[in-house]
Amino acid sequence: MEWSIVWKAAIALSGLGLLFGGLLAIAAAKFKVETDPRVDEVLEVLGGSNCGACGYPNCERAAEAIVSGEAPVDACLSGGGDVAEKVAKIMGVEAGVRERKIALVHCKGGLAESVPKAIYHGIDSCLAAVKIAGGGKACPYGCLGLGTCKDACPVNAIIIDEDRRRWVDRDKCTGCGLCVEKCPRGLIELVPRKQEVLVVCKNIEKGAKARRVCKVCCNGCKKCEKVCEVDAIKVVDNLARIDYEKCNQCGKCIEVCPNQVIVRVVPAWTSRRKAKEPSPAIP
Amino acid sequence: MSEAYRYFLIFIGALIVYNILLVRFIALCPFFGVSTSVETSIGMAMSVLFVMTMATTVCWVAWNYILEPLGVGEFLYIPTFILIIASLVQFVEVVLKKVSPPLYRAMGIYLPLITTNCAVLAAATEAVKPGFLKLNVPYNFTFPEALVYTIGVAIGFGLVIVIFACIRERLETSPIPHAFRGAPIAFICAALLSLAFMGFSTLLGL
Repeated sequence: MEWSIVWKAAIALSGLGLLFGGLLAIAAAKFKVETDPRVDEVLEVLGGSNCGACGYPNCERAAEAIVSGEAPVDACLSGGGDVAEKVAKIMGVEAGVRERKIALVHCKGGLAESVPKAIYHGIDSCLAAVKIAGGGKACPYGCLGLGTCKDACPVNAIIIDEDRRRWVDRDKCTGCGLCVEKCPRGLIELVPRKQEVLVVCKNIEKGAKARRVCKVCCNGCKKCEKVCEVDAIKVVDNLARIDYEKCNQCGKCIEVCPNQVIVRVVPAWTSRRKAKEPSPAIP
Repeated sequence: MSEAYRYFLIFIGALIVYNILLVRFIALCPFFGVSTSVETSIGMAMSVLFVMTMATTVCWVAWNYILEPLGVGEFLYIPTFILIIASLVQFVEVVLKKVSPPLYRAMGIYLPLITTNCAVLAAATEAVKPGFLKLNVPYNFTFPEALVYTIGVAIGFGLVIVIFACIRERLETSPIPHAFRGAPIAFICAALLSLAFMGFSTLLGL
């Protein structure tokens, strides 16, 4: 074996390595860019799910924009008040309080509760189903449960069970609102996270007509309106609506609702994975 | 064959007839990775063109003045070229960050991708190493020929990736069966595009 070639190879490669290493070290020192350390701190606080709800392509760009003053400290929609406060602390300013929100699908009906008008055999997409005579459900305001919102969710917070009912995992949902635009029936809304009493129906048909298509619909009976002590729930266009500002979350409307369409979301129940017992239907 | 015509043949051969993506199937990862929009694919194409040309230049120097005189090029060319490409990309990134932040922001995410891009290594090796198969014949390039060849390869890469990005943007709005959405239909389109490019073989007697 010829040893000289081994030496030559070792010298050539290590020499090149040293050369390039040295050049890179010099370049790094010479072309050093002063970056604001706050960018990393802000990035740490932001969720990092890159949902894009703030209007920037990712959390990194959003952090840069916040530090440079281009975006407000509460720019992160999914983070809400907590994150805004932390960011404001880093930036050394006061943050206005912004309420944290959560997505809610305004329909409770699964396969068992809703009356079908046809059996849909197409691809699993609400958008496609709606185009074919409005999908398989008789209720024109009902959730089709084919998962267009689920596909849009960046944090996998929407779960669809075997009965085609939707569940929003409150531990995961960041309230970014990407699913809101995707729903072809406009059933998803962002509601305040602290609100526990919710009406989960969007049917504005008159009572009997609504009852014909779904067991769990709001038929506009006004029982909730009468029982409410703080005047927070109102039936408008045959649909009960809660004023979240006024509501004291006493839950009296839940007891009187004949169709169980008003529900209480208890934080401990709503994450289905954690629930030992079957959780109540919180769409 | 005149000098100019030879350069033209080398360029066209590298660009279309032996296209690096669709005929030789090298560097398919960025081909699928960054071809989702025309804007990003143009960014990637420009970065590749820049890095490839630089890499071939430096590799040429390293081969002719270090590896060849020492007689170790035959077995040391891959580690050396990879070392050169990796440090070059790193260097470009550092310099770009300081000199032109907008360009850095536009090209920034593609530069690390290019570090391990097989197309850059392939182009540098083929252009620099004598006796290496290029345009299907072992042929020794002079330095200008090597440069023309590399630029041809890089523009060929850019051309195809931009065409493919246009197709994919059009696919986004097409009524494709759910099961074929995304990657599957992209693979099918790539195969058809490749078939089309295979049609260029033996063009101009190459």
